[in-house]
Amino acid sequence: MENNNLVERLSLQSESFQEGFETLSSARSFEEMVKNFLHLIRGNFLVSEICAFGKKHSEADWKPISSDKIISREYLSSINATQQLIISYPDNAEHTVCIVLPLCDRSLLAVLIGHKMDQSRFTEFDKITLQVLIQVFDSAHRAFINQKKEKALIFDLNEKIAQMSNLIDTIIDISRFDKREILFESSLERITSLTCASAALVQITANGNLVKQFTFPVNISPDEILNASYKIESEFSFNDFNYKFILAEKESRTGTGNFNELDQLLLNAVTKQIRTAIESEYLSNQAVEKEKLEQELLVAATIQQRILPARLPQIKGYEIAGINIPSKEVGGDYFNCIELSSNKYAIIIADVAGKGISAALLVNTLDAALYSYLQFDIPLNEMAERLNKLIYKSSPSDKYITFFIAILDSATGVLDILNAGHNPIYLLRADGTMEKFDAGGVGLGMFDFGIPFAGQTSSIHRGDSLFFYTDGIPEAMNKSEEEYSEERMINFFQNNYQLQSETFINELVGDVKSHTDNHPQSDDITVMILKKL
Amino acid sequence: MGSDFNIATQLIDKTLVIKTDGYINHTGGEKIVEEFSKHITVNRLILNLENSKVVNSIGISHLIEIIEKLNQVNGKLIFTNLDPAIEKTFSIMGLFQFAAKADSIEAAMEV
Repeated sequence: MENNNLVERLSLQSESFQEGFETLSSARSFEEMVKNFLHLIRGNFLVSEICAFGKKHSEADWKPISSDKIISREYLSSINATQQLIISYPDNAEHTVCIVLPLCDRSLLAVLIGHKMDQSRFTEFDKITLQVLIQVFDSAHRAFINQKKEKALIFDLNEKIAQMSNLIDTIIDISRFDKREILFESSLERITSLTCASAALVQITANGNLVKQFTFPVNISPDEILNASYKIESEFSFNDFNYKFILAEKESRTGTGNFNELDQLLLNAVTKQIRTAIESEYLSNQAVEKEKLEQELLVAATIQQRILPARLPQIKGYEIAGINIPSKEVGGDYFNCIELSSNKYAIIIADVAGKGISAALLVNTLDAALYSYLQFDIPLNEMAERLNKLIYKSSPSDKYITFFIAILDSATGVLDILNAGHNPIYLLRADGTMEKFDAGGVGLGMFDFGIPFAGQTSSIHRGDSLFFYTDGIPEAMNKSEEEYSEERMINFFQNNYQLQSETFINELVGDVKSHTDNHPQSDDITVMILKKL
Repeated sequence: MGSDFNIATQLIDKTLVIKTDGYINHTGGEKIVEEFSKHITVNRLILNLENSKVVNSIGISHLIEIIEKLNQVNGKLIFTNLDPAIEKTFSIMGLFQFAAKADSIEAAMEV
């Protein structure tokens, strides 16, 4: 009968238990939830005093959560804290009920209930009601903790999405930065934010010496980052420079700690992208430089083409022809036939050691100097000495010019000759005998300590042919690296000298080409022939 | 680790305007929460992030804490002068479901 009455009374209260659960679970904080719980108890049992204490774990000290009265430390320490629910009814002067409730997050809640206002004792029904209320609080607390965990989970998920999004944006941005300082500063900002680092540093060193360093935040000392307790690093080297990125002190709500595997992966990814950006910038600069150089070479080639004669002068009683085929855009070969007076001609062939712009500049110097010196009709050995001094001063130590000049008196056929280090020049007499002019001095610009240049005299007669060339002809190579050879060149000269001069030149070039068989030309080719008709 | 994070505060009726300067990380976030907690009557906080270009998730968790506190009193947090990168991060983190954004402080006062 009594039991039936108890069940009936409890069922009548079920609605208020439900409301109690809603009140407790709508609390925004644990403290608010405990306060609401105390209100429920106060309202159900009409008690005068009630207070609550909590501890993070069983070994910690009790801390007041809601207390009107000061409870002695000794009393609090006497409250047993186990991982089991304890409800005791001490019935002392202060409290009639003491509850110790272990919670799902391993924390503990203690509730001390004072006397009922009507001074009556807790009935069996009250005790059962209290048990139910404690269960309601426990359920609401579990819901509260789960909600907190769910919020943390959503935060973590959003954080990961934000990290991925920021990483993608960072990688895109890194490839866009055209100023190196902005690249490093922005990258440090991004990677610090991505990994929740407290600070970041990049050190750029060359041969172990610090060249430059950047930090984020800007005002933080690099030493502070280097001496941090928790660090991760990533580095790379490019073009003699080493780039080392350091992140310090990963942050959390409870302080700073070590970085995780994902942080290292993120740092590596950003570092790799920075390396790519630096490499791309370097390659792009190289391409621009190359294009600039090619433009300069083109200009130099145009100038050189103007130096070399487009047509050789016509010499009465003679036939003369020549050609220059540079191996690069600008060559180092030179040939010319300059009319000095009505019967006097200077025929020159020269070869600068090397090619490119520096060789072209020397050719330019030689051409200008020749025009200048030839006006004065000075002896060839004296002219060669002057040219030697000039070229020596105008050129680097590895540059010199092999030079051959013949001053032709077209009326008499007399040749004043000087060969300064050039290949032998061949004179094929009408009767088939061959003479060669190979002595006379070292190349122009090689030395400047008075090595004398010696000229010689010869003469060209009817039917004779004088053959000039640079080493591009005998040294022209095929794919098997076999040279065209001086022997084959002389044979060609001997077998074809009767050909009209221009035809001879074209046929010779054709023969050289047939030997090289489209193998890239490794040296300039210059050839000239003078025939007395 | 040292920090160069600074804030400047202005109270206009029940609106608190905090202008931040520097990295909004744990330290920065704590400073903002601390300043906000000094003004219990405030129901609107305008956070001017003009001089803050970098924020991390710990800093954001502090901002969420402020948003929750303001929501309890039917208040509002309004961000102004947001860097596009920060705006994108806040958007992904879902902050704009519970907080607003405005181009300027004047515009934020109207929200």
